[in-house]
Amino acid sequence: MMDAAAIAAPARLRVSPRVARGLKGALGVALLLVAWQVSVPLVGMSAYFYPAPSDVWAAFVDLCRKGILPVYIVDSLARYGVGVGAGVLLGIVFGMLIGLSRRVSLALSPLLNFMFAIVEVAWIPIFVVWFGYGIKTIVLALVYVVFFPVLYNTVLSVRTAPQVLANAVRSLGGSRVDVVRYVILPSALPGMITGLRLAAGFAFRGLVFAEMVAAKTGVGYLIFDGAQTQQTSRTIVGMILMGLMWLAIDQFYLRPFERATVQRWGLTVDAADRT
Amino acid sequence: MTPTRRQAAIYGTVPFLLVIATWAILPHLVHYPAYMLPSIGAVAAFARDSILDGSLLQAIVASLARLAIGFVIGMALAIPAGLAIALNRHVADMARPVLSFLQAIAGIAWVPLTIIWFGIGNGSVIFVIANTIFFAALYNTVLGVESIPLALHRAVRSHGGRGVRLVTNLILPGALVQILLGMRTSLAYGWRALVASEMIAGSSGLGYVTMEAVQWQRVEVIILGMIVIGVLWVAMDRVVCANIERRTVARWGLLQR
Repeated sequence: MMDAAAIAAPARLRVSPRVARGLKGALGVALLLVAWQVSVPLVGMSAYFYPAPSDVWAAFVDLCRKGILPVYIVDSLARYGVGVGAGVLLGIVFGMLIGLSRRVSLALSPLLNFMFAIVEVAWIPIFVVWFGYGIKTIVLALVYVVFFPVLYNTVLSVRTAPQVLANAVRSLGGSRVDVVRYVILPSALPGMITGLRLAAGFAFRGLVFAEMVAAKTGVGYLIFDGAQTQQTSRTIVGMILMGLMWLAIDQFYLRPFERATVQRWGLTVDAADRT
Repeated sequence: MTPTRRQAAIYGTVPFLLVIATWAILPHLVHYPAYMLPSIGAVAAFARDSILDGSLLQAIVASLARLAIGFVIGMALAIPAGLAIALNRHVADMARPVLSFLQAIAGIAWVPLTIIWFGIGNGSVIFVIANTIFFAALYNTVLGVESIPLALHRAVRSHGGRGVRLVTNLILPGALVQILLGMRTSLAYGWRALVASEMIAGSSGLGYVTMEAVQWQRVEVIILGMIVIGVLWVAMDRVVCANIERRTVARWGLLQR
């Protein structure tokens, strides 16, 4: 599939593959926007029902000018940061306990498995009854989403930590604490990061939903409120913003983090390895 | 029962008993408004009533039917579309940023917009689920095709495979593992999207019933809803998805874990 292009490429313009891919990607985005704009008169609906990119841009400028957007973005990111941070911390602590002690594992696993099955979305109504509409409900929902994937991946990687190394540390006179510190923690780190990455995706959607139901600011609220007040362009600004925020979090935060830890130690199986 | 299994059962039951005991004793220790945490008896009574009058079964069937319809629509559209995109490298390069963007916002974020388009009810909920499944499956299909080893490509091509036969003999089976593995995650997203969209845009189903109960402060309804949602997900994930994975991916020895 790629051979013909690869052979033909040097004869034509010399562009590095990465730049070429970026350009093609930009072309794809541009095509989508043009198709969207062109489709508006064809569909012939009101801007309330089917707004054009130009309407969405106008709404975006308006939201920026009124200073609403920066506040919403900061609010969403702050909630996300607090929720994910707390969830990761709890997940690692419980994951270590369960991974290290068979008794704790036997005792807690069934209950945790059951709790995991009750998705965070289902907790939101009862959180609303208990804690009202606001930050507590949102952060709790996020902690809940993040906790389980981090926990499960931590447990898995604690258990698969090389026993040989643990034996070596012990036979050289190290204590159990030394084993945890020098063998288990470092070898469990990639698992924790994998769990975090999985959890971060679920948590971001959880954030948007929780903000729709239980907040008066934030990107999720913007999406919801725009539709409620018949400002559909604002809803779409919110959706685009949500997508961009997630891609930014993934690209500039999670991936470098993963690269710096997991991939450096050669522990991932990339698609590239199979070729 | 072997000793270890008995031990596991004993250890595993204790936390459940603790939770139930705490729930039973709590009203005698602290004062809180009765609506915040109904007694176990109230939840059990409500469970019995809703089973007997058929309303629980009705809600479950309504939710699962929507999930099934949305899932089928999403998969049926995503796999051909994904293959079409992935077969041409230029198209794939062009589509990649758009796809990862649309996958990032797939699901719950569409609910307010679908209320405008389809109103409250089935249309909105099914659209959101199909949308969630579609983008997750599309992304996985493209990824699956791209992960097919170049050597296999060359082998098939050098034996004269092209066109439809290339697709049926190499592309589809090669991408299938990624599609199947991705299905489990996309079902997880779809399940959340189902419950969430029923809460905001539904007129029946488990999510609707649970959220509706907030207004009337009927927490026994919420708790029963949560338990049912949990049990159904365990059933789907452990029984359905795990079985599909075992019978296909694991059996073909393609699982890299």
